[in-house]
Amino acid sequence: AASSNFVWHNKWFSCFKRIELTQQSKSCFHHVTVCNHVLDELYSASHFHLTQGMSSTLAAQVLERDGANELKPPKGTPEYVKFARQLAGGLQCLMWVAAVICFIAFGIQFAQEDLTSYDNLYLAITLIAVVVVTGCFGYYQEFKSTNIIASFKNLVPQKATVFRDGQKSQINANQLVVGDLVEIKGGDRVPADVRIITAQGCKVDNSSLTGESEPQSKGPECTHENPLETRNIAFFSTTCLEGIATGIIINTGDRTIIGRIASLASGVGNEKTPIAIEIEHFVDIIAGLAIFFGATFFVVAMVIGYQFLKAMIFFMAIVVAYVPEGLLATVTVCLSLTAKRLAKKNCVVKNLEAVETLGSTSVICSDKTGTLTQNRMTVSHLWFDNHIHSADTTEDQSGQSFDQSSETWRALGRVAGLCNRAVFKPGQEEIPIPKREVIGDASETALLKFTELTIGNVIDYRGRFKKICEVPFNSTNKFQLSIHELEDPLDLRYLLVMKGAPERILERCSTIMIKGQELPLDEQWKEAFQTAYMDLGSLGERVLGFCHIFMNEKEYPRGYNFDTDEMNFPTSGLCFAGLISMIDPPRATVPDAVMKCRTAGIRVIMVTGDHPITAKAIAANVGIISEGSETVEDIATRLRIPVEQVNRGDARACVINGGQLKDMTSDELDDALRAHPEMVFARTSPQQKLIIVESCQRLGSIVAVTGDGVNDSPALKKADIGIAMGIAGSDAAKNAADMILLDDNFASIVTGVEQGRLIFDNLKKSIAYTLTKNIPELTPYLIYITVSVPLPLGCITILFIELATDIFPSVSLAYEKAESDIMHLKPRNPKRDRLVNEALAVYSYFQIGAIQSFAGFTDYFTAMAQEGWLPLLCVGLRSQWENPHNQEVQDSYGQEWTYSQRLYQEYTCYTVFFVSIEICQISDVLIRKTRRLSVFQQGFFRNKVLVTAIVFQLLLGNFLCYCPGMPNIFNFMPIRVQWWFVPVPFGILIFVYDEIRKLGVRRHPGSKYCPNGI
Amino acid sequence: MAALKEKRTCAQRCEDFGYFVWNPDTKQLLGRTLDKWVYISLYYVAFYIVMSGLFVLALYVLLSTLSPYTPTYRDRLQSPGVVMRPNTYGDEGLLIVYEVNKPDSYTPLIHTLQNYLTPYNRTEQHAHYENEHCNGNKYFTQNEPKDPEQKLLSCPFYRSSLGKCSGMDNSTFGYPDGQPCIIIKMNRVTSSFRHCPILSTAPVCQGRLLVNVYFLFFKQKGEPKNLHNIEYFPPNGTFDLHYFPYYGKIAQPSYMNPLVAVKFNSLEKNKLLKIECRVVADKISADNIHDPYEGKVEFEIEIKNGTAVNK
Repeated sequence: AASSNFVWHNKWFSCFKRIELTQQSKSCFHHVTVCNHVLDELYSASHFHLTQGMSSTLAAQVLERDGANELKPPKGTPEYVKFARQLAGGLQCLMWVAAVICFIAFGIQFAQEDLTSYDNLYLAITLIAVVVVTGCFGYYQEFKSTNIIASFKNLVPQKATVFRDGQKSQINANQLVVGDLVEIKGGDRVPADVRIITAQGCKVDNSSLTGESEPQSKGPECTHENPLETRNIAFFSTTCLEGIATGIIINTGDRTIIGRIASLASGVGNEKTPIAIEIEHFVDIIAGLAIFFGATFFVVAMVIGYQFLKAMIFFMAIVVAYVPEGLLATVTVCLSLTAKRLAKKNCVVKNLEAVETLGSTSVICSDKTGTLTQNRMTVSHLWFDNHIHSADTTEDQSGQSFDQSSETWRALGRVAGLCNRAVFKPGQEEIPIPKREVIGDASETALLKFTELTIGNVIDYRGRFKKICEVPFNSTNKFQLSIHELEDPLDLRYLLVMKGAPERILERCSTIMIKGQELPLDEQWKEAFQTAYMDLGSLGERVLGFCHIFMNEKEYPRGYNFDTDEMNFPTSGLCFAGLISMIDPPRATVPDAVMKCRTAGIRVIMVTGDHPITAKAIAANVGIISEGSETVEDIATRLRIPVEQVNRGDARACVINGGQLKDMTSDELDDALRAHPEMVFARTSPQQKLIIVESCQRLGSIVAVTGDGVNDSPALKKADIGIAMGIAGSDAAKNAADMILLDDNFASIVTGVEQGRLIFDNLKKSIAYTLTKNIPELTPYLIYITVSVPLPLGCITILFIELATDIFPSVSLAYEKAESDIMHLKPRNPKRDRLVNEALAVYSYFQIGAIQSFAGFTDYFTAMAQEGWLPLLCVGLRSQWENPHNQEVQDSYGQEWTYSQRLYQEYTCYTVFFVSIEICQISDVLIRKTRRLSVFQQGFFRNKVLVTAIVFQLLLGNFLCYCPGMPNIFNFMPIRVQWWFVPVPFGILIFVYDEIRKLGVRRHPGSKYCPNGI
Repeated sequence: MAALKEKRTCAQRCEDFGYFVWNPDTKQLLGRTLDKWVYISLYYVAFYIVMSGLFVLALYVLLSTLSPYTPTYRDRLQSPGVVMRPNTYGDEGLLIVYEVNKPDSYTPLIHTLQNYLTPYNRTEQHAHYENEHCNGNKYFTQNEPKDPEQKLLSCPFYRSSLGKCSGMDNSTFGYPDGQPCIIIKMNRVTSSFRHCPILSTAPVCQGRLLVNVYFLFFKQKGEPKNLHNIEYFPPNGTFDLHYFPYYGKIAQPSYMNPLVAVKFNSLEKNKLLKIECRVVADKISADNIHDPYEGKVEFEIEIKNGTAVNK
């Protein structure tokens, strides 16, 4: 024994060395393949049973070298980088630049000892404060959703059964090393990449790796060069469904196949979100206009005769005045409001900007298993009495059931219930049947649940038919049978029930049960069977045949010794009972959601690792392939012509499998995507999913990708918006995704799209609202420079408009209901439908903004004139007015004013101008409620938040004006009441003017004279 | 998406921009054809003409509601400002510094005073005539004129009433002697004291000027200290009532501000003194911390006396 042990260790060690060598080679697949061969050699050469396992010391060494057997969490972005990113967006950069300019201007004034006010310093500090505060807000939002995601992580350590020093023991799975001999049983998660050495009926669910929902059986024999295809390797993170196997670990931790795929994701660059692009575009517009205006007035100031430095300060002030300080806050708040709304609908958004991305989505690449389907095999059809009956496949059993009165059904149900080894896990009486957990493979589970639902308590039922013996399913005879006593104790016959592959079952039958009658199985019935079998098969369903026979009590009396090896009982000449087919059925809400996507102009592409036929069937079922659409192959079959002769343009639908995809160039793939609106990709690998996403993006689409497995993470990352599944999703997928569906439901995506579109529309309104007041904030300064009137509007007052009174109304526009059914429009064209376009900017600035400026100046001159300064006197008054040493400036009536009296009069003007902008902005927020419809059609008071916002704005304005102490703190004066009403006619003018524009847009849609991009 | 992300070289961008400025294929200038530019310009011209028209209309309506004689409100002029001459400014406000032995240091101050008083010469005020109302005891109230051509009367103020500080006898205003004069004026505000009962003789409403002098030693805040030996001109140190109310420059174009001169006869030399002169009257506040010139005037004065130090 000692020597054999020694030989074993030697062999083990040499094998182990070779495994290590190959591990260093680059391709993980290559490594796995070589490992496979090495172990094959070892296995065939050695006559030892590999039961000893590694020695603990060797294992400890290897563990020290390789590290723990766990996936390293993908290198998360450090927190400070995340925070810094919040401070470095397009708008933020604009504001940083503005703040720096303010500091420079302040510096110049300070150096020149020309410091009349600290406005520039305040402005710079406020700008920085706004950026930092909104940054914190965004960071907090992101942090919160990261926490939601983190809470999903399973914290229970996984155990594994390992042989070490000849002892079988349970250790934490993360302590496993390469070379360890492990045992896997049904229900375990495979703890690492394992080369199977022995297996008994072992089946593994590879769905988290390949997306296939069908369990793969595993055994020691190498069946394929490709490690993903071969039967003798089980992969890390997949689940063993049943059976038992032992194997040697060939890869651990990040070196496992799944680990490599996960790390592949980090190699995929992050794309800019559409809204980030839009905001950059918008910042370009703003910066361009600001510099244009600044430069123009710099020249004007120089021509008028100001000093160079003074003109420079004017230039800077104008550039800074153009920065919409409040916009950043508005955008952030709008997006997080929508994120919150989405969270209520089970979509957690990790990245705020992703909210809008969803709205621009034009292609959704969806997974099949779990997202479109329930991820649960369910009996869907039955064939008996020469009819195909549909079973209820809905999740909550709300659908129609079939006619259960037939005698044949009783026979079929009996076979299905008895010839079944699956049982419910105990203690689930409270749970609805479809949701209960079952020990057994997927088809047996489906049959168990089905019989439980139709017949009643199956375990009881089985108890009444005492089982005598059974032959489990194996791949050679492809059937399963069991022999039972009958329920009726007086009937001494035995019942043999059998299920299996339909054609094999049919071979063994000589009669068929029709309406309770056993009829001879002639050619006619065989044909009927074939037709039904084909029909069900073409639905992508897994079909099983069922038959039975009552064994004569004379030939097989009680106590007869049934021998399952000898098969000393009839296995042919049976009575065919029927067919039952199963499928992983689509979720109930999915067809409707797909339909909504379709009307919304969004293309849904199915990308799955599953079989083409199943994929196509599900696609047809949920509407991804619509009724009447045919693939090239369908047309070929229908017209009975070779596939090559079919005009590809006629085929709307197309199913491409992974093999075909491998041979296609990227141009061919683009062509295929362009030619066929309805696409299904089956049997695809993770890399191929990535290729498909890239191809869609090349075609100019904004692509959303759903996925749950680790294998999906590269595609999730590459997509414009990656959507991971909250329940089924792996951590890697959740990390790579921008959004997480808590209920794994495809229909939630549609809600997301709707919200995303709404927020785009509403952001447009908010931005238009926010931009408009830029002009009435800027013109006072321009007039001040050129005409030298006393300054009509101060810097602090502007900050109050931007950051206090107008924030709430602009945010309230985010609550505006959609004007039309946004889900009936096409997704926006990212090149044409910009967030801020020329028409919107020009209309806001030079028309509405201009009217607001006129309102402000009217009110300004009113306040000046009524206090003694007639308009004409104001012109050119600036140098006297601002001279702190002149205490006797004469007004139009000969009254003499001290500097402070003039200053307070100037504050009065600020306040009056402020009030004018506020009044006009109320009108502005009302017109911005709609872009096409009349406000009367939309309803004035429908948006309660907006009404509240207007009231709030007025109250805040009043507070600022009339709170004691304001004049000396924030330069607000208690103004006379009538000055509130001077701008009202202008407000009405704005409203009427815009109603006329909207009328034009409605009357002449698409006319170039009525641009509707506003 | 792809198109948005493609990296373009600077040259391509410039070329694109060039095309944007002038596209020879579509004959578009800055994204529009010329005739479109004309149309759009015409629209904007029309728009701004209409808006300007509305604006002018609004101003016209506004102006037509205003009285030509007095302003609608005097919200900021609750109390008149008080100013003085000479008005030279230092870092922190009015500051008079001169050296008795150096005429160069005070000549500008004397010039200021001379110039300021020129309009108060008797010859300059030939348009005025004294009337029975100008006797100093009561307000000189008149009815508002019915048309702009009609002018109201106003009482003259002659510099002779400033006595030693009139600059008529002593054109140096006492500066070389270290006994300088300052002249204090109250800003004109229309219908001043309008809250006062007309013709009231209540002493609170008398426009009496007292100079409360606070003595501040080297800017160190000390106890207010009365300065001795101060002379006021006119002798009682008041703005006589008959100069009020003021009806505005249209109705009363010939109005002359009454003045009060203060002569400091024994100011300590070589020390910076802070002096505050406030108008003491009911309805005139002099305690507004945000306006140092409302109802009072503060100034610092230092008379340097080189010889005195040397001796």
